[in-house]
Amino acid sequence: MSGAPVLLDVRGLVKSFGGVHAVSDLALSVCAGEIHALIGPNGSGKTTTLNVISGIYRADAGSIRFDGRELCGMPPHAIAAAGVARTFQNIRLFAGLSVRENVMIGRHPRTSANVVTAVFSGRATAREERETRERAEELLAFVGLPRAAGAPARSLPYGDQRRVEIARALATEPRLLLLDEPAAGMNPAETDDLIGLVGRIRERGITLLLIEHDMNVVMTVSDRITVLNFGTQIAAGAPSEIARDREVIAAYLGGSIDAA
Amino acid sequence: MSRANAGALVAIAAAAAIPVVFRGSDYLLNLCVLAGAYSIAVMGLGILLGYAGQMSLGQAAFFGIGAYASGWLTTQAGWNFWEAVPAAMALSALVGLCVGYPCLRLSGHYLALATIGFGIITQLVLVNWKAFTNGSDGMSGIPAPAIGAYTIDSYGAYFYIVLACVSAGAYVSSRIKATRPGRAMQAIRENELAASAMGIDATRYKILAFVLAGAYAGLGGALLAHSIKFISPDSYSFDASVVFLVMLIIGGASSVGGAIVGAALLTFLPEVLRPLKNSYIMVYGAAVIAMIIFMPQGLAGLLQAVIARFSPPPDPGSETIAARPSAQRS
Amino acid sequence: MHFDSIANLQLLINGFAIGSIYALVALGFVLIYNAVGVVNFAQGDFVMLPSYVAISFLAPSVAVFGVQMHWQLPPLAVYLLVIVLMTGFALLFNRIAYYPLRDRGWMPVVISTIGVSIFLRNFAQLTWGSQPLSFPSPFTADTIDFGGLHVRPQDLLIIAVTATLIMFQYVLFEKTSLGKQMQATAQDRTTARLLGIRVGRIVAFTFVYSVLLGTISGLLVAPVFTVTKEMGGLIALKAFAASIVGGFGNIPGAIIGGLTIGVVETFGGFYISSAYTDAIAFVILIAVLLVRPQGLFGERVAEKA
Repeated sequence: MSGAPVLLDVRGLVKSFGGVHAVSDLALSVCAGEIHALIGPNGSGKTTTLNVISGIYRADAGSIRFDGRELCGMPPHAIAAAGVARTFQNIRLFAGLSVRENVMIGRHPRTSANVVTAVFSGRATAREERETRERAEELLAFVGLPRAAGAPARSLPYGDQRRVEIARALATEPRLLLLDEPAAGMNPAETDDLIGLVGRIRERGITLLLIEHDMNVVMTVSDRITVLNFGTQIAAGAPSEIARDREVIAAYLGGSIDAA
Repeated sequence: MSRANAGALVAIAAAAAIPVVFRGSDYLLNLCVLAGAYSIAVMGLGILLGYAGQMSLGQAAFFGIGAYASGWLTTQAGWNFWEAVPAAMALSALVGLCVGYPCLRLSGHYLALATIGFGIITQLVLVNWKAFTNGSDGMSGIPAPAIGAYTIDSYGAYFYIVLACVSAGAYVSSRIKATRPGRAMQAIRENELAASAMGIDATRYKILAFVLAGAYAGLGGALLAHSIKFISPDSYSFDASVVFLVMLIIGGASSVGGAIVGAALLTFLPEVLRPLKNSYIMVYGAAVIAMIIFMPQGLAGLLQAVIARFSPPPDPGSETIAARPSAQRS
Repeated sequence: MHFDSIANLQLLINGFAIGSIYALVALGFVLIYNAVGVVNFAQGDFVMLPSYVAISFLAPSVAVFGVQMHWQLPPLAVYLLVIVLMTGFALLFNRIAYYPLRDRGWMPVVISTIGVSIFLRNFAQLTWGSQPLSFPSPFTADTIDFGGLHVRPQDLLIIAVTATLIMFQYVLFEKTSLGKQMQATAQDRTTARLLGIRVGRIVAFTFVYSVLLGTISGLLVAPVFTVTKEMGGLIALKAFAASIVGGFGNIPGAIIGGLTIGVVETFGGFYISSAYTDAIAFVILIAVLLVRPQGLFGERVAEKA
């Protein structure tokens, strides 16, 4: 996107597991305010890249600059506090807690009550609690689950659990939201809802980087796309360019992308 | 005032009546003091295991450290009760820190075993460090608390001190649960990876949970030591840690009230069933198995279910979305 | 303190003997863990219970439920009887304490096995009383002399039986269909089921096998110590430690871990301090957990994000 500053700048990223080079010399750049899709065949290193960006894996080499800060080497909780939130490919909700509590937990890096203040500063803590609760309910309404707050998280259908996970990530007040296969397991109606939600998230000024296999979603929603294969970037650009790129088509075993 | 808070105040008021009601019986009052001291230790375990999900089977070791620290300070170093007990609590908390830190990378069985190992080593130290603890002969002559010239010698009066500590412990634990630190710990329990991705420093909260568990157990142990006035290492064994765990499970792992109820129940039940002792003993283990199969949330969970059943239906705000067809999503 | 080679050899044999017991019990842990992902906290009581049952039929006079018994059956018959009884007990244990909880994660099962442990110990106290009982040794001589070296025949028996069992297990696992099925179930239950393996039966068999390992350990070690309701507890904890030292889930690791702890403990108890003998196993354990949590032979397992 011309004019928009680069928010996330990944260069030379390397991550291996034993002999498996999941990510080798990866470059990726995401501009502020855009919706950026990361696609590629299975095993191309997409989720590994997300995991390294969010701090769950430590990169072997390379740099990840987020708004000027180097994220490499930071622990996951610090990266979240710095403004990078994520969802997981296999939904990782706090199953035994309520939906509301799940989202309230997302607010952790933006609040400050600790054991001492919880015990001794009753009033200040109560105010923070109230704000956290209200924010959680607002976010649940935003993702389309206005009435699910009190339910146990594990009781929700799969598609709704995904939304809760997104609401929880939004509660951290991120500048960059990483979504790992958000449309996985969704039917067409749910997928349409998701596309709408992604748009609404962008309207709030949040930059999105999403891994997705559903090409309909990718083509509809993305401003730019980066294509991975064998752990490295093979193409990056606007959806229309990517759809015509020979290497990309070859990587997907000869099929044309818009026939997904 | 919320229903839970009102309930707590009623419970405290009722407990305050105990020394009056049981006035004649030193035996019963002693049991109440015992139950109170145990419930403090179990509440501590409730924070570590119930909230943060860290399987610790070494709680009796902290209990013993608190008891011996306070005992030694008052019998050998000339401290009084009011100085020694908080110091013992601080020492146990410090040991909790020292145990929690190396255990950070461990989870599940490894953690359980490391805490067991810590417990066994602690007990062996208590038995063998004779200069400090007097070994298997035990430490006797632990003094009762005194205020000026007046010694609080009766079980009834001492019970009020214990009750105050139980109430304070319960208050702190429930405040933790209802606010950000408690949620953070529960998030770690449910899914540590997701918790750290949401900005929670799991390391910090796990160590905190260990420190709190140590502090609570140390307080309980010290209070007990000054009540029964004689302690020996036999009481602080792995089996005792198991008893604390069972008390917590039966009461309800993440419930403050449950911890107290579980401790009280398993303190009184053996005594109440003493005439039937033989049958009771067999039932105890079977009850644990049955409990975990049919009532994994313990008695607290049972109470919650009962209350939910008899409460007015929840407002539409909390209705499970699963009941509604997805076409009606707003 | 002088380094007398005869004394050291005796210590080594003692160490191997007790280490073999730890190894057998550790093996039992590891097999159940591999099969169902849970640590059995009652494993030690499967060492204690058969010892008591055996005593009931072997001893000249023993009180069972308050009634004096004088069965004094021939040892081989008793051992067989105990094995049969413990097999039935293992199936019961599988059905009651594990099966209802099999989908609920590891903590409920751990707690359930703790419940079983409490139950068994109290049952033992109820049935046989609290006095320690002595287990009639199958040997008449207390020690055998090999020129200057005094060896307890029981130690030799323990080592011999353990070695035989380990070879038997190797053959079972590597060379028979049943063993392969057990390995498959341990590695990936869903796929095993899809391949037609009767997972429920294999799990039950694993429980039986594991309990029998404990049973044999009990029958082997009982003549060395007195039999009390607590005897299984510490052995099991050390065996658990041994399996972690060896690498949790790793079968040769469990054996080597057990032997290592047995030997180090025996030498440490003699040369350093007998009072803290029991602590040695746990000091080793904690050191391993801090430095190399995957143990000697284990693999580092990372959680999939």
